[in-house]
Amino acid sequence: MNKNTNKKASPDLFNLVQRFSVPLMFILICAVCIPLSGLSANMLINEIVTRMGRNAFLILSLLIPIMAGMGLNFGMTLGAMAAEIALIFVSDWQIVGIPGMVLAAFISIPISVLLGIFCGKILNEAKGREMITSYIMSFFINGIYQLVVLYLMGSVIPIKHGSIKLPRGYGIRNTVSLLSMRQKLDNLLAIQIAGVKIPVLTFIIIALLCLFIVWFSKTKLGQDMRAVGQDMEVARDAGINVERTRIISIVMSTVLAGFGMIIYLQNMGNIATYSAHSQIGMFCIAALLVGGASVDRASIGNVFLGVILFHTMFIVAPKAGAAITGDSMIGEYFRVFVSYAVITLALVMYETNKRRAKSAAGQQLQAAQDAEEAAGKEKA
Amino acid sequence: MKNKRQLLFRVGAILIILAICAVMFVIGRGHTVYFDNKETSYNGQTIESFYKVTVTVGDQKPSKLSKGDRGMADIMGQKLTMTLEITDKEGDQPHAHKVSMSVPYNMDGIMINIPALMQGLPQDAYMSEFIIETPDTGSTDEEIVTDEFDMGGDM
Repeated sequence: MNKNTNKKASPDLFNLVQRFSVPLMFILICAVCIPLSGLSANMLINEIVTRMGRNAFLILSLLIPIMAGMGLNFGMTLGAMAAEIALIFVSDWQIVGIPGMVLAAFISIPISVLLGIFCGKILNEAKGREMITSYIMSFFINGIYQLVVLYLMGSVIPIKHGSIKLPRGYGIRNTVSLLSMRQKLDNLLAIQIAGVKIPVLTFIIIALLCLFIVWFSKTKLGQDMRAVGQDMEVARDAGINVERTRIISIVMSTVLAGFGMIIYLQNMGNIATYSAHSQIGMFCIAALLVGGASVDRASIGNVFLGVILFHTMFIVAPKAGAAITGDSMIGEYFRVFVSYAVITLALVMYETNKRRAKSAAGQQLQAAQDAEEAAGKEKA
Repeated sequence: MKNKRQLLFRVGAILIILAICAVMFVIGRGHTVYFDNKETSYNGQTIESFYKVTVTVGDQKPSKLSKGDRGMADIMGQKLTMTLEITDKEGDQPHAHKVSMSVPYNMDGIMINIPALMQGLPQDAYMSEFIIETPDTGSTDEEIVTDEFDMGGDM
């Protein structure tokens, strides 16, 4: 009996380690790098809390498409672009502080919805290849974004302020200042605990989104998304409009990514007009994967674990790199390398598991067929 | 019937969103207010500047203005409320005044001449638009940096 239990426990432990290999690897990296970095616990916690407030909303926006079986939504960049366009307008109209953020959020909604519908329709035509399609789509929409921001704003779309426009009279500058709304959300209701600033309002908003996701997953639409994520054909047979459900999941993700980008940029205090959105998708996906999520399974817990581990590595890596090699750039390269490596590893593991599951199912079918044949022969 | 109700809800939601946006436009409009403690003239009448004025707007750092000085503060919304602590002449006791006024929506920068304001003159005598000219950097354009394949930045 005992022997059997041990035999059973061993593969379970192996599976568990395999499933959480990425978070475990990151815990190890952080454990080595934190003492080497020489950062005080107070500073480290402060940085992690700040980054959690800044990034958690964006990463949470990735959960709904995963629920619908559409994998990691690289198309969240589209929402980020919508938010940037909204913030450029709000800056030009000189609407400041929290009202400016609220207005930007409302302006970003229609843009995000349109982009989300477009993205969802394209992804419906590329079922099974959603991630690469959404990734390439983000480049395509980035081209259109650049056309709008670089050539149409100031010439066709009215932009009043010279501080935003390029010296030639049209197009937007590389950096747009958001000083008038910098950390307004974070500082409202902020409290200090042992020298660590807690942006309470930002965390309340993140908590509300978590509650929304939990509630949403229990609604009819949420259940439909789960069903579509598990098996599209079965869901279709059950009367679910698969295509519509998938489009809704992408639209929701895009809109939420837009809101997340506004929270992110208000914390930063400026918009890198042509590059801020291009990095966001990769970083958020890497953070989610570091938290132990996979292409087809992610939870709110993965988001928070991912933010803590990924950003701890981000904070300590340059200092640890400088301490080890004398060159902080090594640490910079290391964190970039690790970010890409995590995504690659997750994709490889996903494909391997999928193939393994397929082959196990095939073997099971073969065994059933063999048993059936043997039974037939015995009868004969 | 269900469709009609759905349409009503949708139109209602859009109207509420538009109303919120309109409110945000008004309450969130930012202005930079510049305070001058400078001599000015109105209808041939010369208005002398004060020896010293301390202007406090909200919880911002007070601007201490001597003769001919200019201070500034950022405000949000259409109402400016400030506390002025005025010393008329050297050696005099300062006297405080709380002043509230509405500011024009279309002006980003608003210049207020405090001596003219304290004389009780009409708005056009003490308030004017302050237009910031973007400095000519000499270069014809700015190099646009796009880095869609780069992940080297911080987050």
